[in-house]
Amino acid sequence: MKRSKSLKLALMGATIFTMTACDQPDETASIFESVDECAKFEGQDLDQCRQGWEKAEQEHIRTAPKYTSIADCQADFGPEQCEQAPQQTTSGGSVFMPMMMGYMMGSMLSNGTRSNVATQPLYRTKDDPGTFRNADNQKVSTKTGVQTVSRTVTQSPTTKTSTIRRGGFGKTAMRSSGFRSFGG
Amino acid sequence: MYRIAIEERSNWQQLAKEVGFQFHTIDGDKYWDESACYRFTMDQIENHIEDPSAELEQMCFEVVDRVVQDEQLLKKFAIPETYHDYVRQSWLNREKNLYGRMDFSYDGTGPAKLLEYNADTPTSLYESAAFQWVWLEQAMEQGLIPPDCDQYNAIHEHLVDAFDNMNFTGTLHMAACQGSLEDEGTVLYMEECATQAHVQTHFIHMEEIGIDAQGRLTDLQDNVITDLFKLYPWEWMMRDEFGEAMPESGVTFIEPAWKTILSNKAILPVLWDMFEGHPNLLPSYFMEEAHKLDSNAYVKKPIYSREGAGVSIIKNGKTIEEVKGPYGEEGHIVQALHPLPTFDGNHTVIGSWLVASQPCGMGIREDVSAITKDTSRFVPHVIRD
Repeated sequence: MKRSKSLKLALMGATIFTMTACDQPDETASIFESVDECAKFEGQDLDQCRQGWEKAEQEHIRTAPKYTSIADCQADFGPEQCEQAPQQTTSGGSVFMPMMMGYMMGSMLSNGTRSNVATQPLYRTKDDPGTFRNADNQKVSTKTGVQTVSRTVTQSPTTKTSTIRRGGFGKTAMRSSGFRSFGG
Repeated sequence: MYRIAIEERSNWQQLAKEVGFQFHTIDGDKYWDESACYRFTMDQIENHIEDPSAELEQMCFEVVDRVVQDEQLLKKFAIPETYHDYVRQSWLNREKNLYGRMDFSYDGTGPAKLLEYNADTPTSLYESAAFQWVWLEQAMEQGLIPPDCDQYNAIHEHLVDAFDNMNFTGTLHMAACQGSLEDEGTVLYMEECATQAHVQTHFIHMEEIGIDAQGRLTDLQDNVITDLFKLYPWEWMMRDEFGEAMPESGVTFIEPAWKTILSNKAILPVLWDMFEGHPNLLPSYFMEEAHKLDSNAYVKKPIYSREGAGVSIIKNGKTIEEVKGPYGEEGHIVQALHPLPTFDGNHTVIGSWLVASQPCGMGIREDVSAITKDTSRFVPHVIRD
């Protein structure tokens, strides 16, 4: 057979194309609010709890949502929930980010390997304080402890920055207007 | 290879609407046309389309290998000098490529002749990979075609596998220009394939991309873009304001920068120079060497042309057919005329798809004029011996 065996298009709303169900597999992860909580949890090792926290703190600086006004940050994360980031804007202005409220890392599995989870900070938003979210604002969990999470939240979060300019791509296309597509 | 008139599925327009195929009709004219289909034998597909595509791809790699080392050729390809190193490095680093479409003139007999290679921003992907596939399944089910038909179309499977093999660690941003339903539809389909390979995706318009103080590209949420699929040609990115930021931006682009060499019509004379006489190639020269063409009928193409724009057919010194277009200031090439075959009055061009450099499917376009263009109709095909 020279053709694809099946073809499903979930995003495009085509349930009729669906041949097989495809669930995003889960991953085992450890989620804690602090090194203390982690170390007290059965089966957790203090050194690994601490290393995880330190790694998550580094990732916090890189990946936390960034704001140029503390009011904007508090609007999303609540009063007293934001701090100054070490980064500065090009004009030397302050940058703010939410405080890290917990962290997630891989767990030791029964076969002796660690689950494939990028160690990362977790946050709680003002509107949904019961849920841990990652730096990309994806819901991770509502509880601490060793648990299964969706594999979509186990990747390393994106780096956050401050954009200084937009609109630098697309001008050449406008000179060639009249096409319904820009491909060929 | 035959063109066969068949009955349309009664529900196809409703179906197109449901699956977001919004560009099936252009200015009131059909773009998707299932009132006919083309029939091929397995031998024609495998020996005349698939195998030559694989061989041509290897030849194209040899062209890239030569062009990146040759400043004179890079200039002839109209690649701005500031990007020569960047393009060269992307090739030497073997940056992975995703897809491309070779266009052939082929009538069912004799070798297919390569007309051009849309290696950077090929269109008609969704129609080829998805809508054509569903057509085959439904047309067989509804008894419109025999139940034992096949189709040269594993594009979807290959795309999902290719995304899987790219080993993204973070989010893949996917961009199209504002104002093109067709391009947005194509990118949405690409997102679908990436998602099925468990790649995290995020759509953005090219015009919305920002830059930060360190020269990194950003999305509307101020995320740093690390991997970008762009349905926007390299030669335009290089001439845009943010173009100069690309080499230092740390972004992995799909397609990679070396594809700007393959998508350029200037590969045609270089292919001919390196593989003169190859059965799947047509004699082709840069404009200044046009006199070497041993033919009084030829096609003149701007090196950056897309969808037939700016292409003219010249016979005995006279332009007999022409499509107007904004291209041409970067130079032209000439290619011996090998007219497209006609079936029931339609000129037919074969689009041979490659994913991760593997040939894996086909889409057919036809037009009443001798030069196919962006409005040429897409007609499905079957394989049946």
